[in-house]
Amino acid sequence: VATAEKPFIRQDGKDKVTGLGRYTADLGMTGMLQAKFRFADHAHARILRIDTTKARALAGVFAVITHEDVPDVRYGPFVQDRRLFAKTKVRYEGELVAAVAALTAEIAQQACELIEVEYEPLEVVHDIEASLQPGAPLLHEQWAEYGASDDVVRDGNDCSRSTIVKGDADKGMAEADTVVKERYVADMSHAVPIEPHSIVAQWQGDRVTIWSSTQVPFVARSGVATTLELPESNVRVIVPHLGGGFGGKCEFHYEAQVAALARVARRPVRLVFSRREEFVAPDHRREGQVLELETGVRKDGSIVSRRARVILDNGAYSADAPFFPQLAAMMAVGPYKVENVFVDASLAYTNTQPSGSVRAPTAPQACWAVEQHMDSVAAQIGLDPVEFRRRNIVKRGDESPTRQIFDDIGAAETLEKAVELIGYGKQLPDDEAIGVAVGWWPSFGIASGAYVKINGDGSGTIITGAQECGTGAVMALPLLAAEILGMKPDDFQLLYQDTDAGPFDSGASGSQTTFNNGRAVMQAARDVREQLLDLAAEELEANRDDLELVDGVARVKGSPSKSVSIPDLAEKAHGDRLLLGRGADAVPEMPECDASGCTGRLGMESFLAPTFITHAVHCKVDRETGVVRVLDVAAVHESGRVLNPIGANGQVEGGVVMGIGMALLEGSLIADDGRQVNPHLLDYKLQTASDSPPIRIGWVDAPTKEGAGGPKGSKGIGEPPCVPTPGAIANAIAKVTGARVHQLPMTPARVWEAMNR
Amino acid sequence: VSAATYTSARSIADALSALSSGARPIAGGTDLVVGARGGKAPLPESLVAIHAIDELRGISSAGGGLRMGALVTHAEIVANATVRDRLTALADASAIVGSHATRHVGTIGGNVMNASPAMETGGPLICFDALATLRSSSGERELAVAELFAGPGQTTAKADELLVAITIPEPASGTGSCYVRLEYRRQMEIAIVGATAVVTLDGGTVRDARIAITALAPTIHRVAEAEQALNGSDASDAAVHAAAAAAAGASRPISDVRGSADYRRAMAAVLTRRAISTAIARARGGRFPIPASPALHGAVNGGPA
Repeated sequence: VATAEKPFIRQDGKDKVTGLGRYTADLGMTGMLQAKFRFADHAHARILRIDTTKARALAGVFAVITHEDVPDVRYGPFVQDRRLFAKTKVRYEGELVAAVAALTAEIAQQACELIEVEYEPLEVVHDIEASLQPGAPLLHEQWAEYGASDDVVRDGNDCSRSTIVKGDADKGMAEADTVVKERYVADMSHAVPIEPHSIVAQWQGDRVTIWSSTQVPFVARSGVATTLELPESNVRVIVPHLGGGFGGKCEFHYEAQVAALARVARRPVRLVFSRREEFVAPDHRREGQVLELETGVRKDGSIVSRRARVILDNGAYSADAPFFPQLAAMMAVGPYKVENVFVDASLAYTNTQPSGSVRAPTAPQACWAVEQHMDSVAAQIGLDPVEFRRRNIVKRGDESPTRQIFDDIGAAETLEKAVELIGYGKQLPDDEAIGVAVGWWPSFGIASGAYVKINGDGSGTIITGAQECGTGAVMALPLLAAEILGMKPDDFQLLYQDTDAGPFDSGASGSQTTFNNGRAVMQAARDVREQLLDLAAEELEANRDDLELVDGVARVKGSPSKSVSIPDLAEKAHGDRLLLGRGADAVPEMPECDASGCTGRLGMESFLAPTFITHAVHCKVDRETGVVRVLDVAAVHESGRVLNPIGANGQVEGGVVMGIGMALLEGSLIADDGRQVNPHLLDYKLQTASDSPPIRIGWVDAPTKEGAGGPKGSKGIGEPPCVPTPGAIANAIAKVTGARVHQLPMTPARVWEAMNR
Repeated sequence: VSAATYTSARSIADALSALSSGARPIAGGTDLVVGARGGKAPLPESLVAIHAIDELRGISSAGGGLRMGALVTHAEIVANATVRDRLTALADASAIVGSHATRHVGTIGGNVMNASPAMETGGPLICFDALATLRSSSGERELAVAELFAGPGQTTAKADELLVAITIPEPASGTGSCYVRLEYRRQMEIAIVGATAVVTLDGGTVRDARIAITALAPTIHRVAEAEQALNGSDASDAAVHAAAAAAAGASRPISDVRGSADYRRAMAAVLTRRAISTAIARARGGRFPIPASPALHGAVNGGPA
């Protein structure tokens, strides 16, 4: 385990910091062509005619492809509603109509512009509430014919509906002493990885190798195989260094289109997105939401009932968003004891970029609304907001909205520690205040594999299917293997990411890398450990049960002089039997719950190894301008047992800064024609290092039971840190201004407008 | 993105001859290159790089004032003691242009000739009566920076003229100044609303006030009504408020993704008031952080508001 005294330096750190690291866009190959896409010219239109004649005739153009040049396959993880290229209709501005490969990007762009597309423009639906109104134009007239998972409840523009039902919410509301009803709206936002999407594809015979800036190489491989109708074994996906993802590079994106171009052109083809393309095209941006929340409480602060209507924005096509309504419905209750619940959540098709998992999908926005609502309820019954939460936050033995009984959890401890760290209640100038918000997030158990081998020189190699997306989770795998094998983390090399070499892993998504692949690596290391001990027992003529692996040697417990080094054992093994360990640990079972009354059950009805978070944020509000500055943050997390504090703290720091961005500035505006108004970094304002406040981090140690969580009782860490930050900031703003901001992001103009309403 | 020809000039004469054959000048490239990459405008067909022309460098004394070569960077301006002491509003402005990287590469010449209505240094230069020296192969002329700005991205300079220097006369003693902008974040920002105040005090009386507003009209401009509200006054809060209200009244803001016209107009009054108050405080010898914007914007150790 790495500690402050024993710092752990990531193997990829130096390359990335010094600029030596090679990313996908850095790759060059003999004869390589450059790809450009022709995007839709309307957010919603019928395609009448596509003519590529002029584009094909342009000198330097090697391939021009449209829907006619690829198999007519609809795809999508939950609902198969899209094609690689638009065929009959375009449904958002970033949809692909055609692709070109040419000698230079400029020629490819020019060729794209020479493609003639005739459209019949259709009414643009960009408002999620309007989309669900009776009589709204259907985005997908053939929606009922699409292939889809049986559990997805669909109806026209409502692509996925879920309900959470517990007790009788109406009856509960009638019994309440006070009922508070509020409405909140969150704008769509983006993952904004610094590296835009980049892909290189090269064919050798009927096999294609694709270098891609993907977070999920195995998912990308399967997407290419499905859409180009190839055997999966003919597709190899390699990921060079990945320049961030935050969910924006989950799912399967442009690997198939670039591969199709390369096949037609008979040359390697490279695609590198511009920032604008990165903003408008990939089907993974954070969904907009409308939340109507109603809560009934008793005078003592106990919550009798929560009713909520949540509408989420799917965009034009379904990436992985169909499971969001159920997740958002759970978020609309939060980690509180609520006796009666009815949440109804829908996923509305609109003529905008498709939504998909971006770091803790649905949670920061829903938590922002719910935690403001909690403060509003507390104010109505005259309770301090922290005290109100204290009375309702879930503890061991309490039940979730679907009657999952919580085990040893540290939710309440995160609340207490966060208010202590920030100095809640201290005297502050009248333009400053502390806001508090509590959130939760599940861990995701998914099959994952790894090999650990000990090489002839005694060094180790971890061969993993897991993908490093910048969090350091893959980089920290040597810590887990080293501890089991009595070696140093530096003794290990990592071999990733190549779908032909590593065992399956679902990729850098769902905070699942350490949680699942960590267990696989530990199992593989234990497998090798057994092999090493067998060898050492022979070598030392000792009982193998008396042996231990410590400091790079196998030795007899209690008589350390009787030992043999791991390199010596490795050398011996090399001439005889190789040291190879395999790991693919069983996935933890989902906790029991009672979701009998719920519809649209897509796996989120119970939370595996749930994590709990409290953020307390000290803000200063410039009352005249509405500008909010975050002065200080306390972020306390319960993520089970923390394995690598440096990595975990890094996730919290990044998550909090991302949360501040979402709270104050990050949001996309959509014009009436369905286009994004600010698809560039000057007007989609990320936080800079200069904006980042001090962040005090606390951890509540609450390891899961054996087999119920990740390695050593750990839980997921990557996503939770951005969950409660916007809500905590919102509550601080409301305390200073006396006005609630009901739209996210809470830009200076919106804060000012709330104050001057 | 690509330009057809790119030459690097070693002297002003080289550069002028390139300009007369149709080339456009490039120095730091923080507007041209970034704009081309972002799809704002393609690079000109022919570029002449002027960054290696030593004659265009350096800040020197000129009479009691200063002469800045066109290649002087924002970072150099901020570091200059005379600018900080006597032309403080310009230091306030130069210190918040773009990012650290922009300020070390971007030049005053490029900033002025880019003529953005949201540029930081424009207000201070206009209020300090700065002159632009333009040279072409047929000669040299000087004109007020205020007369250089013709509209968003447009100047009154001819295509074959190169900005070689900006000259700023010595401000009268008893002058304090401030530039402040409404900013949503600390770095990589552009003014949503900006205000400049240059105030000369004579005892307790305002002898001369210059007020300019930024990002509130197609060009940065002075507001005569605001100046009149202050001139001859006792620099009281009432006078400052009247000047700020006049500035808001003279603004012609647009509604866009950065803010509505109503919000911008309201902010014009707030920002102008803050700029004037700080300029007056500085004229009285008070010391406030440079740049003023973050301090006036909720920083932990804030200045006057």
